[in-house]
Order: sequence, then C-alpha cells, then structure tokens
Amino acid sequence: MSKIMRLALREYKAAVKTKAFIISLILFPVLMGGSILAMALLQDKVDTTDRKVVILDHSGVIGERLVAEAIARNDQFVLNEEGEKVQPAYLLEVETISEDLDAQKLALSDQVRSRELHAFLEIGPDVLNPAVADSMGGFIRYHAENAVMDAVRRWVGSPLNSLIRIDRLDAFGIEDERAAEIFSRRDVDGMGLLSINAEGGVTAAEEADEGRAIGVPFAMAMLMFMMLMTGAIPLLSSVMEEKTARIAEVLLASISPFEFMMGKVVGGVAVSLTSMLIYLGMGSMLMSGTNFSAYIPYAIFPWFAAYTVLAIIMFGSMLAAIGAACNDPKEAQSLTMPAMMPMMIPMFVLMPVLQEPMGAFATVMSLIPPFTPMLMILRQATPMTIPLWQPWIGLVGVALFAVLSVWAGGRIFRVGILMQGQPPKLGEMVKWIFKG
Amino acid sequence: MNTVDILNVTKTFNSHVAVDDLTLSVPQGSVYGFIGPNGSGKTTTLRMIMNIFYPDSGEIRVFGDKLVGSATDRIGYLPEERGLYRKMKLRELLCFYGELKCGHKVGKNVDYWLEKLDLASWGNKKIETLSKGMAQKAQFISTIVTEPALVILDEPFSGLDPVNADILREAVLDLQRSGTTVIFSTHDMSVAEQMCDFIFMIYKGRKVLDGTLAAIQDEYGSDTLRMRADGGASSMRDLPGVDKITDLGQMQELRLTKGADTQRVLKDMLNRTRVNSFEITKPSLHDIFVRIAGPEAKEVQHV
Repeated sequence: MSKIMRLALREYKAAVKTKAFIISLILFPVLMGGSILAMALLQDKVDTTDRKVVILDHSGVIGERLVAEAIARNDQFVLNEEGEKVQPAYLLEVETISEDLDAQKLALSDQVRSRELHAFLEIGPDVLNPAVADSMGGFIRYHAENAVMDAVRRWVGSPLNSLIRIDRLDAFGIEDERAAEIFSRRDVDGMGLLSINAEGGVTAAEEADEGRAIGVPFAMAMLMFMMLMTGAIPLLSSVMEEKTARIAEVLLASISPFEFMMGKVVGGVAVSLTSMLIYLGMGSMLMSGTNFSAYIPYAIFPWFAAYTVLAIIMFGSMLAAIGAACNDPKEAQSLTMPAMMPMMIPMFVLMPVLQEPMGAFATVMSLIPPFTPMLMILRQATPMTIPLWQPWIGLVGVALFAVLSVWAGGRIFRVGILMQGQPPKLGEMVKWIFKG
Repeated sequence: MNTVDILNVTKTFNSHVAVDDLTLSVPQGSVYGFIGPNGSGKTTTLRMIMNIFYPDSGEIRVFGDKLVGSATDRIGYLPEERGLYRKMKLRELLCFYGELKCGHKVGKNVDYWLEKLDLASWGNKKIETLSKGMAQKAQFISTIVTEPALVILDEPFSGLDPVNADILREAVLDLQRSGTTVIFSTHDMSVAEQMCDFIFMIYKGRKVLDGTLAAIQDEYGSDTLRMRADGGASSMRDLPGVDKITDLGQMQELRLTKGADTQRVLKDMLNRTRVNSFEITKPSLHDIFVRIAGPEAKEVQHV
C-alpha cells in the first residue's frame, strides 16, 4: 500500500467516524425529505379559518352575483366527503357605498388590520365596458395586508371575469345558459416525448410533472453540493489542525508534502463516494418500490460519480493548500468563505439554469470547470436532452482543472505547511505557486 | 563511514541566515549532541537532514548518498514539538506512524516498546487522555519503532521527570549499542556531557564547537578552579590572576586569566582565609556554552 493510500485510509476512517459525518449523513435526507413531506402535508393542511371579504360595488350589477358564486364554491369545496372542513369558506358581503368613500375604505382597512375582515374588494363602475381603462372606472381592486400571496384574490378573478363576460354577452343578446357553455375551460396537459422501447415499439409519452422537471434535477445538484461539503470543505480545517498540532512535521518526516496533500484529498474522495453510495443507493432502494421509481435518473449516476471524484480532487487540493497556509482556526475561518465561493455560485444560479437548461447562460455556466459538477448534473437531470458533447467537454475541463489545482495546491502546500506565524495572504499564496 | 555528511550548507529564510556555510560529519554508530541557544539553527539543520527543508546551497549526504526523499524512510525523527492525533488510540497511532514510514506492519515492535516504556496498559486509550510525559514517550516510540539506522531527536528530554528521563536515556543508549546512529539536540548540558560521543555547537547559524567532549575541554584549557572556603565568594574578591568568579552557592567556580598559576592563587587564598576544598578542573560544557553564547561572549571563534 502506498503512503498516499495509508494516509488516505487514516483520513477516511477518522472522517467517517466523526459525529459530524454521521449527523450530516442522516440530516441531509431528513431535511430534503422533510421539506418535501412538509410541503405535501401543508398543501392539504391549509388554514381553514373563514375569510370575510367586503365588496364595494360601484357597478351595482356584479357584487351580489359574486356573493352567490362564493356560496356555490363554499358548498363544493369547504367540506370533504367525510364532512371534514378542508378549505376555508369565503364569506363575501356587499356593503353600501357611503358618501365619504375614503373614510369608508379607511374604516375597512382598519377592520382588516384588526382581523375582523380578511380583505375588501372594490369593483369599478365601468367594469363591463372594455373600452374604459382601469384607471378611469374599469378597475377591480383587492385590498388586503398581503394581497400578492392571497388565495381569495387568486380565486376571485375567475368568477368575476365570468360574470363580466356573461353581462357583455347579454348585451350582445346571447342568453345566460349558452354563456356557461361558452366559458367552460379546457386545461393544457404538459406531456413528454415519445420514444422507441426495447421491443421496438413506441413508448407512449408520459405526463410531464414538476417532480421530474424540477424535483429530480434540484435533488441531484443539491446532492453534488453535499458531496463537496462532506468531502472537500473539511480538508481545510483538518490540514490546518494537523499543522498547528505539529502532526504535519511528523508526517513530513515520512512523506513528501505532495503525498501528504494527495493523501488528504484521496481520503476526501473516499468520504464523498461513501456518502454518495449511501444516498444514491438508499434513495433508489426506497423509491424503487413506489410510484416514484420512474424518477430515479439511473442514466446519470456514472456521470455523477465521475464528477464527484474530480470535483473533490479539484476543490480538495485547493482547500488543503489553503489549510496548510493557515496557523489558527480564525485564519482558516476567514478563508473558508472565499474558498467556498466557487461552490456557492452554482447554488445561486440553480433556478435560472433549471428554467432554461438549454439556454446560452446555462450552457456557458455549466462549462466553467468549477461550476460544471453541479450545473452539468443539474442540466443532465432535467427532462431535456443535453447534447452529449457538453458533459464530455465539461468532464475534460474539470479533469484538466483538477490537475492544475493539484499542481498549484501542491506548491502552496509545500511552502505553507512549515510556515509558522505568518497569516496567509492570497497574493503570497499565488507567489508560492510560481516561485515554489 | 559517516551516516550524515553536511557540506557547506547554507539556508536562508527571507533575509535571515539560519544556517551559514555549515560542514559537519556524523560517524556511524555515534551519539552526536547538537547544542546551541534558541534560534541558533539547530532545528533548521535537523529538518534539512530530514529533507523537510532544502538547503539553499551545499549538499547533505545521508548513508553516503545524496539526500533523496526515500532516504528518510530509514531515519526516525522526533520533532521538537510533539505531534500526535488526539482522537486516535495510542497503539493504533503508533502503528500508523510506523507503517507510514516503513511500509510494513510494526505491531510487534509497538508492543515491545509500549511494554518497555511502561505504556502497555495505555495502548487502547486515546492520546488525549495521556499525560505530557506519556505523550512524549509515545512520540519517542513512534520515532524508533521502524528500527531506523539513524535517529534524530529534537529536544527529547525536555519536560520529562527524572524517572522518565532516565528510561528514555537508557533507551537511546540501547539504540546506540545496537548500532543506530543518534543525533539529538538538547539544552541540558549535563545530558550532553554524559551521553554524547561528539558535541556540535551552533551559534547564530555557524558552527562554533565540534568534537569530543575531551577535545573541546582541552581546547578551553585547565583554567578553572572549584573552591570552597570560609567566607564564600566575598573572601575571593579581587584575587590576583582570577578573571571571573561564578558563585554556585556552596561552592565557587573561578576562571583564571591566561597564564595564571593555580598554586599562586591557592597561596593567596590561604593567606586570606581557610580553604576547605580546592579542585583544578576543566571547564564544564555549561561554562563553555555560556562563554560562547552568554552576554560576555567575546571569544567566539568559528571552527
């Protein structure tokens, strides 16, 4: 067994035995699963307190009918088949408009603030006339404390517009009964593409869903981030500790600085691969029996593993080198944040990349080596088909960058590990790379 | 044959010259003591032999060959500051350090040395539970467990109680008897006097002493008297032919001016008071050290 392997083995044993590793191993799926579960639960368990909404109807023709629409909705959705209350009732009520409108609206606002009222709705006098601008009298205004995120506001738009359209049709002489038929809605179903299966037949397209389009790619990118957190980040402080505890000098009497650094990095790779196997293995096992089995992106698992190994080498050698330049935990802490930046940037752009995985932004970002592991995996996990050259180019880029990182890290490490008392400066470290 | 040859080695840190044109040979099987004040270049020299630091100029040969990385596999190194993984168990750690160096199992040797240094019952305890003295012994075991041909010990006895210091000293002498070359640095002059075949002193990066204890003492001559007299140090004040009086409490050590006659000093002293003991002696290593590196150091000569 080579010296690098011996050191890596000790590093690995020490790392997987720590409480931090075991806790993070459990915590990550618990948090991920927990938040998904919580969202699923919370979607059903909405706040069922009834919503009282006052209507100020300047048009005089919509308000009462809207109240009727609300009652119809309440009859249909508030109670489930077992008679349990699963939705809040929307209690709409038309109030006469008083002389002093501003004073009345102010009073209603106060009632909303004091929670006597959920919101109030003001309907303009000319809503029926499409030619009248909102500002002139065609307005419909919904006043609430947080009107943006408001279920009643979202609901009210549809019946309101139906009522307005019915009145407009009425004006054209089309009777009410026909109007309902005219306004019956059709939904657009999102579907995947058809493909040829193993028997040569055509596989029917599956219904597109959020789980596949967002959930799976997001989970894979987060998992990659988790790999970096467990495999690479701890190297900084662990090398720093070995330096301050003078273990480094003992080790350097037996191994070269390069072997030292590589031992740490290989240990980090092993730690990451362990958690990867646990997550992917357990995740697949748990999901395979369920309806979600089709979600498991087996095809990108090898890519994931390759990216993990190279990413840990790439980031790990840099972090180990920075750790070697630090003399105490404070210095290490202040350098951890900048060192983590290349891993954080992909986190900030996850959403834009996810929304348009084939766009120029996503393509370019995912080909920048430090961002490739997270972003390329994210793109590959989407239902979109990424041109095959892109992951390959990405992989080659990461591999080259990893080699460069090991070379530069090794040079910083060699100087830093025996340097005592001098706080590390970025400029100094760059100098060490070139001057050795 | 020499185990270590240092040839005109210079090592500079920024603008500070840590080791200046040093040449030194350590014969095989010898115990070589490195002495010198703090910051004089001892540890730098030892680290260069270990290939941890590279000399700016000059050459270091170990076992007759130009130093390459793999040569350090045959050198045991005890650094000045102890470095042990606090969370590891003692025996596990010693095996790890040993196997990292030599590449094969060393469990048997570890057990032998744990037994010999009275640590056998601590083998399965974590390092953090060990006392300082025990940790030091553990570090010593990690240095020698691979049966290296050359052992380098940087301050091996500092912080040890007399019992443990004796145990360790005996272990070092055992190593020498089995043919191992030992280099150690120390601040304890009596240890150096007792144990070393050769003594090397470095001061401000330069070699100022190198040779056997007897040769070094000869060089500094028989110019020292030890005397006990009624009235103590005060009775010896302004004695002709005496350069310096060191008051050791119960006894005084007198350094004579060059060419002064010891009998003449005794006669003068007898005229003054009652002399209880009188000894013509060679300067102690301690005395020589202080002469070179002490505040009154004038006679520094590079050898």
